[in-house]
Amino acid sequence: MSVVEISNLTKRFGSVLAVDDVTLSFEPDVIHGLLGRNGAGKTTLMQLLTGQDFATSGTVSVFGATPVENAHVMKHICFIKESQKYPEDFRVKHVFKNAPLFFENWDAAFADKLIGEFRLPLGRRIKKLSRGQLSALGVIVGLASRAPLTFFDEPYLGLDAVARQLFYDRLLEDFAEHPRTVILSTHLIDEVQNLLEHVIVINEGRILVDSDAEELRGSATTVAGTARAVDAFTAGRTVLSRQGLGSLAQATVTRLSAEDRSAAAAAGLDIAPVSLQQLVVSLSGDADTAAAAASSATTVSRKGQER
Amino acid sequence: MIEDGRPIFVQIAEQIENDIIDGTLPEEGQVPSTNEFAAFHRINPATAGKGVNVLVENGTLYKKRGIGMFVSPGARERLLVARRDEFEKQYLRPLIAEAAKLGITRDQIAKLLQKDEV
Amino acid sequence: MTTLVSATSPAASHATTSAPRVVNVLRLHLTNKFTTLGLPLLILSFIFGVNYVIWLLIYTSTPGGDREAVQGTQYSGSIAYVFIYMAIIAVQVVLRTFPFALGFSVTRRDFALGTALLFGVLSLIYSAILTAMSYLENATDGWGLGGHMFSTVWYGTGSLGERFSQEFFGLLFFFFVGAAISTVYLRWRAIGQTVLWGAIVLIGVAAMALITLTNSWASVGQWFVDAGPYGVAAWSLVITAAAALFGFLILRRATPVA
Repeated sequence: MSVVEISNLTKRFGSVLAVDDVTLSFEPDVIHGLLGRNGAGKTTLMQLLTGQDFATSGTVSVFGATPVENAHVMKHICFIKESQKYPEDFRVKHVFKNAPLFFENWDAAFADKLIGEFRLPLGRRIKKLSRGQLSALGVIVGLASRAPLTFFDEPYLGLDAVARQLFYDRLLEDFAEHPRTVILSTHLIDEVQNLLEHVIVINEGRILVDSDAEELRGSATTVAGTARAVDAFTAGRTVLSRQGLGSLAQATVTRLSAEDRSAAAAAGLDIAPVSLQQLVVSLSGDADTAAAAASSATTVSRKGQER
Repeated sequence: MIEDGRPIFVQIAEQIENDIIDGTLPEEGQVPSTNEFAAFHRINPATAGKGVNVLVENGTLYKKRGIGMFVSPGARERLLVARRDEFEKQYLRPLIAEAAKLGITRDQIAKLLQKDEV
Repeated sequence: MTTLVSATSPAASHATTSAPRVVNVLRLHLTNKFTTLGLPLLILSFIFGVNYVIWLLIYTSTPGGDREAVQGTQYSGSIAYVFIYMAIIAVQVVLRTFPFALGFSVTRRDFALGTALLFGVLSLIYSAILTAMSYLENATDGWGLGGHMFSTVWYGTGSLGERFSQEFFGLLFFFFVGAAISTVYLRWRAIGQTVLWGAIVLIGVAAMALITLTNSWASVGQWFVDAGPYGVAAWSLVITAAAALFGFLILRRATPVA
C-alpha cells in the first residue's frame, strides 16, 4: 500500500494553478526526490500533503486517510520547510524541548549528536541564527524525528558543502537503520541524485517525470558533432533539447540502444551521458515537448528493463 | 566512483566483480553489507541492494542467513570467462573504429601492440 | 486498502483530536514562561510601583497625611493595562506559535483547544493573584495610604466569588478577543485587519448613533448600573464565547502561507 495517494489534485491561487491535476503516489520506505525549478509547485504540493494548505479540488490520502485536521495521520508526519517560522522568543534549545512532544519516534541522543556535528548553538535565539544554522536546525529536527513520512523542502539553504555532505551522510545512515518514507525537494540535483530511489519532476504544477531513479539514469544521451550528422541521427527520435554553434550541434535524445550507439559512433558523433540534473533542465526548459518526451523516456526505459 | 548516465546498481555490481577478479574479494570471503556499500559510495541503500542482488541472482555471491553475503566458489573463474567474451566488444572494436578514423591500418596496430610488449 | 477521504472540506473529514497533543500544545505555549507569566507580573509590579509613588506624593503633599485625598484613586483604571496586556499576549501566542505548531504536525483543532486551555490556565493564575491583591489592599487600608488599584469603585469589590469571577471572566474576555483578532490576520493578513477594524468602528459609530437618536443613553447607563460590576463581567462571557467560536472557525481554514 502506498503511503501517499494523490488523485486529480489541484490548487489554485487566484489565476495561478500552483498544482495542476496531479495524480501520484509515494511508496513506503523509499527516498523520493521532488525536483523542479523554483515556483514549480513543490512546496505547495507538500503543504497539501501535510494538511497545511487546502486543495481546490482532488483528493489526498496519507496512511489511508486525509491529513487535513487528522491528528492520527499528522503525528506520523514531519515536514521540514525552508520558510518554517518559530515563536519569536524561542531559542534553539526550546525547539528541541518541544520536538519530543510532537514526534513520537524522537531520538534525543541522535539529535544531540547532530547538534554537535552541525555546531548548532543551543542557547542562541532563533532569529539571531544565520541562514545556514536555521537550515541545520530543520535538518536535525527532520532526521531525529524519525517520522514515518518525512518531508525536506530545500533543507540546505545557506549550508556549506561540508554541512550538506554531513546531512546526506546522516540521512543515508539513519535511513538504512530506520527505513522510512522520505520526500526531498531540491534543485541541487547533482548533489542528491545518488541518494534517490524514485524521482518526480514537477514543472508549472504538473508532473513531468514519475520514475525509478535507476530507470531515469541513462534514459537520455547527448550526441554532438556536425549539425548535419546530428540532425540526420536525431530525425525521427524524441529530442529533449538541441543547441547549435555554427556548423556544430548537440542534441539530447531519449534512451539509445547499443545499436543506436554504434550507429552514432559510425556517423562520427560524440556520445555523452546526461546527468539527472541536465535531464531535468532539458525537461523543464520547454514543458510541452518535455511532457511528451518524458512519457516516452519512461516507456522506453521500462522496455529496457523487461529485456 | 559513481559516474553519470548509467544505472548505479550496474556500477556497484561491476565494482564487486572487479574486486573478485583482482582478488580483493577472495572466494568464500565476506562481501560488505548493502548499508556499508551505500554509506561508502553515498548512494541509496535500496540501489546498493539491487546491485548486490544482481550478483546473488547470477550466482556470483551467495547469502548466509543472518550473517551476510559471500563470494561463491568458482565465481572468479566464471567472471573471467564472461569478461574475456566482452573484451572484444568493449575494447577491441572501439580501438579498431578509432584507428580506422585516424587512418591506422591493422598491421600498424599489430606492430604497436608488439612494440608495447617489449 | 486505501480510503480516500475528501481533502477539500474539513467538515467532511473525520477531524480527530488527540488529548495528549492538546496538553502538549499547552506545554508548547508555556515553553518560555517569561513571556506568559514573567513579563505580565513585571508589568503589574511596575504599575503598582508607579501608583504607589503617586499615592505617596498625594499623601505627603496633603497636610497631616490626608487619606481622604488619596481615596480619589478609587476611580483609578490603571489595572486596565494588565487586562489589555493579556490581549497582547493572546495575539503573540496565536501569531507566533500557530505556524510553528502546524510545522510540528499539530492540527488546527488541537492548536485551538490547547490555546484555549492556556487562556483558561493563565486566567485562573492571574485571577487568583488579582483577587488576593484586592483583599490585601482592603486589609492594609490601601497599602497604608488609602490607595486603590486592585479594588476600585467598579472592580475588585463584593464577595470572594464575585471578585474572582469578575477577574476570571475579564481575563478570558481579553484573551479570546485578542486571539480572535489575530486569527483574522492569520487568515486574511493586513487586508483582513483593515476590514475588521473598519467594521468595528462602523458598528461602534452606528450603535452610538442609534443610542443617541433614540435618546437611550440613560437606559444604557441604567443597564450597567442594574447589571453591576459582576453582571457586566458575566455578560462579557457572551462576547468571549462568540470570539472563541469565530476565532476557531477562522483558524480552521488558516494556512501558514503568506
